[in-house]
Amino acid sequence: MRVISLAYVIALGAGLGLVSARYAVADRPWFGRAQIGAWTSWPNSGARDIDPYMRAYLARGAHLPLGAGEGLELIAGEDDAGQALDARCRYRVTGMTPPARGWSLGATDLAGRPLQAAVERQSFTDAEIVRGERGGMRIVLATTPESGNWLPLPAGGRFQLRLRLYDTPISSHAGELRPEALPRIARIDCR
Amino acid sequence: MSAVDQTAMPPAAAPAAQTRTSPWLVRIGRSLLRFALLTLAGLLLAGIVHIVTVFRVPALAARDAATVYAALGMNGHAELVTPPPAGLPAILDADPNSVAAVCSYDLAGGPLRVVARTGSLPLGLTVHRRGGGVAYAITDRAAIRGVLEFVVMTQEQLDDRLAKDEEGETSRELRVVSPSLQGLVVARVAVRRAFDRSEAEAQATGVACGLAD
Repeated sequence: MRVISLAYVIALGAGLGLVSARYAVADRPWFGRAQIGAWTSWPNSGARDIDPYMRAYLARGAHLPLGAGEGLELIAGEDDAGQALDARCRYRVTGMTPPARGWSLGATDLAGRPLQAAVERQSFTDAEIVRGERGGMRIVLATTPESGNWLPLPAGGRFQLRLRLYDTPISSHAGELRPEALPRIARIDCR
Repeated sequence: MSAVDQTAMPPAAAPAAQTRTSPWLVRIGRSLLRFALLTLAGLLLAGIVHIVTVFRVPALAARDAATVYAALGMNGHAELVTPPPAGLPAILDADPNSVAAVCSYDLAGGPLRVVARTGSLPLGLTVHRRGGGVAYAITDRAAIRGVLEFVVMTQEQLDDRLAKDEEGETSRELRVVSPSLQGLVVARVAVRRAFDRSEAEAQATGVACGLAD
């Protein structure tokens, strides 16, 4: 009876502990993240005081995150209305970016890999976009060609937007950013 | 009233009823309590296993950037990883609008000196320790007369250097302590326009890294 009890405790402890640890470090952790509107960032991922879960996540692959002070990466998997980004829809990304020496905005799949679109353009940089009269950005994401700054999407499937700000003073306090300081993501229509 | 009821019951009936129900109830109660305590112990053990596993992942990692790129940059200059050399995995979540070159280091042989010349494109240098995590980051804004230079060392090597410094004299050397003996120095250059790529690659691979002494 004692052997069965001990086996039960060890099986439960080891099994649950290992499985929960595997799930906890399979993706970027929930805690330590800063949610600013539709955008999510992990400001400490490139800092010396990185939390153990983020460090374990980074250790599981060839990740080279931007260092604190070097830049900041923000990821959006949903639009401003909270709906998941879907390549069957068209989206308009407008607004301003926080002060930075340069930025890039690109679309990837949920694992961070480039999208397989018909036209080879994965992203825009601050030097490449055509700006409006007020200097703000206006990028349209769609499967079919659009006038202006067009970021092509594949025929279907979920995707993410990744905004990278280089040499930005906000990298250490991204959590204090207001949603208005970041580009807005609005769904135009869907097929 | 209860006293009256008890006295009204036949003398042998009460103990008989107790012996019929109580042992089962007691046995089930004890089993449930035992199961709950064992489950609690299992959950406690699960918490310990979870924490130990998460903390051990970086030490046991075999696919982190510092491990997979450990052979790069040994010739005294950073080597491109965008795209990576044949047979090596690509950087995960890499920005297509930046190029990265790496220098692997092992501080067992002594501190590492890193020297980068700035150009027209934004340059960032980061020290990534083995097992994931950035130990230090600096951009070309900190460059003096177009040169960015620092020395990576362990805490013991820093203590030795401080002991050897002339008393009252300020060292001009920028010293960076790496929490691990092995790691990577990453030079990342932002590619603002497609035609900037070759310049960005030349700037990233122009970063020199070699023994400091």
